[in-house]
Amino acid sequence: MGMEQEKAEVLKGTLDMLILKVVAIGPLHGYAISQRLQQISKDFFQVPEGSLYPALHRLEDRGWLQAKWQETETGRDAKFYSLTRAGRKQLSIEMQNWQRLSEAVALILKTAE
Amino acid sequence: MLWLRRLFHGRVAEQRLDAELRFHLEQRIRDYVASGLSPDEARRQANLTFGGFEQVKQDCREAHFETQIEDLLRDFRYALRSLVKDHRFALVAVFALALGIGASTVMFSVLYNVVLHPFPYRDFQRAVVMNLLDLTVPSNDSGRYHFTIPEFLAIRDQNHVFEDIVGNYQLDVLYRGEKGTRRFLGGYVTTNGFEFLGVPPLLGRYLAPSDGKPGAPAVFMMNYQLWHSEFQGDPAILGKTFFLNGKPRTLVGIMPERFNGYGSSLWFPLDLSPGAEGTVFPVKDPDVIWMCARLKRGVSLETAAADVDAILHRRAGANPGELYPKQFKLNVRTLLDFVVGDFSGILYVLLAAVFMLLLIACGNVANLLLARATVREREIAVRAAMGASRRRLIRQLLVESLMLAGAACFAGCLLAYFGLKGLVAIIPRGQSADLFHGRIPEETVIHLNPAVLLFALAIAALTTVVCGLAPALHAVRGNLPLRMFGSGKGACSTFRHGKLRNGLVIAEVALSIVLLTGTGLLIRSFFALTHAELGFNPARMLYVWVSTGEHGSAHGTSINKTRFDEQVLERVKGLPGVVNATLALSTPPLGGWGSDIIIAGKTPPEHWETAFDLCSESYFQTLGVRLLRGRLLSKADIDSAQQVAVINQAFVRAYFGTENPLGQKIKFKVFDEIPETPHDAYFDVVGVVSDFKNRDLMEPAVPEAFLPHSISGFGDRSILATTTVEPKSLLASVQREIWAVDPSAAITRSGSIQDFVAEFAYTKPQFNVIATGAFAAIGLVLVLVGIFSVMAYTVALQTQQIGIRMALGAQQRDVLAMVLWQGLRLVSVGILIGVLASGGFAYLLASQIRGVSAIDPVTFFAVAAVSLATSVIACFFPARRATRCNPLLALRYE
Repeated sequence: MGMEQEKAEVLKGTLDMLILKVVAIGPLHGYAISQRLQQISKDFFQVPEGSLYPALHRLEDRGWLQAKWQETETGRDAKFYSLTRAGRKQLSIEMQNWQRLSEAVALILKTAE
Repeated sequence: MLWLRRLFHGRVAEQRLDAELRFHLEQRIRDYVASGLSPDEARRQANLTFGGFEQVKQDCREAHFETQIEDLLRDFRYALRSLVKDHRFALVAVFALALGIGASTVMFSVLYNVVLHPFPYRDFQRAVVMNLLDLTVPSNDSGRYHFTIPEFLAIRDQNHVFEDIVGNYQLDVLYRGEKGTRRFLGGYVTTNGFEFLGVPPLLGRYLAPSDGKPGAPAVFMMNYQLWHSEFQGDPAILGKTFFLNGKPRTLVGIMPERFNGYGSSLWFPLDLSPGAEGTVFPVKDPDVIWMCARLKRGVSLETAAADVDAILHRRAGANPGELYPKQFKLNVRTLLDFVVGDFSGILYVLLAAVFMLLLIACGNVANLLLARATVREREIAVRAAMGASRRRLIRQLLVESLMLAGAACFAGCLLAYFGLKGLVAIIPRGQSADLFHGRIPEETVIHLNPAVLLFALAIAALTTVVCGLAPALHAVRGNLPLRMFGSGKGACSTFRHGKLRNGLVIAEVALSIVLLTGTGLLIRSFFALTHAELGFNPARMLYVWVSTGEHGSAHGTSINKTRFDEQVLERVKGLPGVVNATLALSTPPLGGWGSDIIIAGKTPPEHWETAFDLCSESYFQTLGVRLLRGRLLSKADIDSAQQVAVINQAFVRAYFGTENPLGQKIKFKVFDEIPETPHDAYFDVVGVVSDFKNRDLMEPAVPEAFLPHSISGFGDRSILATTTVEPKSLLASVQREIWAVDPSAAITRSGSIQDFVAEFAYTKPQFNVIATGAFAAIGLVLVLVGIFSVMAYTVALQTQQIGIRMALGAQQRDVLAMVLWQGLRLVSVGILIGVLASGGFAYLLASQIRGVSAIDPVTFFAVAAVSLATSVIACFFPARRATRCNPLLALRYE
């Protein structure tokens, strides 16, 4: 399994959560979301567009994100995503789950030595 | 699947998706340029990292589609779970809806098959028949449907309105086979007749124009029913030669099962071109051609009538010798109207009734759903707080009612399938067109077909919307989060006042009252019909119609005919079990033939007419009719064919008033037109007998005269016999006696008079009663379910209130009274509205109701009483449950 594929697997389960988290700060368009993910993860997450946009649309359909067309600071029309109340709730649930999961994994890795 | 995806992904969404991704791409290029790449290189790099613009778009679409499907599946799972959890509710709802859907599907299939698609013929909507109305007789609305050959030819050649026109003529065909002489109904049909109807033959070929030409070999066709009943469906008989009415004819074709054109079992070719009629047509100068024509496209009935009317008026002017009324009008009506007539009226009424049922059922289910929605307010509020959008919530509730409607539709179709079988069994079927008007055509096949199933599905969709949308909208209305803190069973919400619920109960009761009233009126009318005083005693009376063949047969002269008739009569009288027997032209209570009359020494102020019958001297005794004045017909009158007449009271009332009728002289104008009958003869009135029903059960007797049968040989006679045993058990011996006198004579119709009356007079009203009765019963059951569910729910909501009351010392009796009063208040409003609405419904039914007023107070009272009793029962059980409520528990429950 190559590095890229590995990353994709990790991404699949967590991408939704990461997007929700990134968008929680304020409305962002798709490009900004991908840049933000890349920057914060110090280039670990270079989310391909083929994963990012379907995920965004899925989250929108679920009612966790809401989208609005707005002008960017450069005067272009872009689709801005922001978190809904349901999305905020979902984010907290997923973060808790993730917390528990990673603690459990860490525990196993530590004690199994 | 692509179309499905498009369904979820519109054009606008597609454009937006494109714009969004393009924006992303351009941003990336800008960043690359900013980091020092040349614009071309930046574009190349960006495209490379993007990895296929169209592919990304496709992935987005799929993600979208998948979530939609997932949501839908989740909705279904959720709905199924909540219905299973509350399965009693689900069963009641499905049962109520299935009754409504089933009943309306049954009624629609009857209506579709009878009124919209009754015949297998080509373009039958444009097929018309014609009749000549005599305008000097105001009451006469049927006129003559028969025309002479010259009239037919004139209409065929001179009209501008018909595509094609067919003439036909019916006659008895005597076939002498191994079992003895059999009589079949045959018909001469102009050779275009089969192409006209456009139904291909099952075996062999149609009659073709060449078959009608003089000198062509004699051929005929047979219908499916005769082929099966008489020849066991043996295909080998095709091409064989049969002796029909004494002449050899070759069978060239057999028609399929669903074909009854021209009302015959056998068809002979007929050529009516001038000169040909003498060779092919068996009767001299008949005015017996019955016409059926197909209108040209776009021609109205009125235009056609005016066109043909002008042709006939020209003929009447040019041929003063021909028989036309002083003033006449040609009338054109559709074949469908002619055959089905007012039966379609009752079908529409029943369809209206059934839609009311469906509304009641929908009302019930909407009510149940509303009640559930109220109880589930908290659950819905929680879901809303969890972020479910209003749209999702509404969809959720709609999916739930869609599942109910789907299950109900399935159950309803099952009900419809079996219900239809039952209903078809009691539907009045047409037999011989002149005797049984207003029935469904024999070849109409009533079954569930695609149109009907489509209808059922549409109904299911309708019920979903009606039952599901209102509760769904109601449930998500208002401040959802606030409701989360209210208790599911408190008394604070607006809906708990239940205006909508109460409205539905009132509507249900009102609708069922309307249905019950309709049924009640029809039952009362049917009762009046079956208990009509006939004026003669129909018990244990046998009738046998005897045919001695075509007009040209051996008994043609009146002397031979009389001798035959007398011999048969004597033999029948001598049979063991026969008390008395008589000859007659007609079968009571359908009186004899009609004729215009002249009474010597009187100038009629208008048109005078009477019915008349040709009888033997035993007629009056056999029927049990009383002699009031003068004498009856004597044996001597019959033997010497005396021109004497016995008349009924109605005759005296109509034409003699207080004068002495005895010794008056009457001329029957119709005799002048019939060969072998005294022309220009006056009959002496010798006696007056009591009236008996001679036109219809519910009409007063019309004037009738009874003449010695020996005066004329025309017409087939029937034998009436009173018996000491079951009348039909004598049929075989009567047949034997007839064949003993003449083996070529045949019985055309026979049975007991009581069956005869039942068949022609009771079948249709009986159908009306059973059909509306069944619907009204279903309606009543639905009302029972409706009131019960609403009251049970109301009581459940009031548990706390009732608990407090009981804690404060209210007796069980008080609680019972309180709940009953709540229910009955609604019911009485419903009854009041229903009774008022019934007035309008009764008006629709007026044509079907006879012998009872359309606003019959007895019916209305009885219906209100039944409805009230049902409602009390429906309210009683919830009320009793309320009294069993334990005050402590009820209070703690909150």
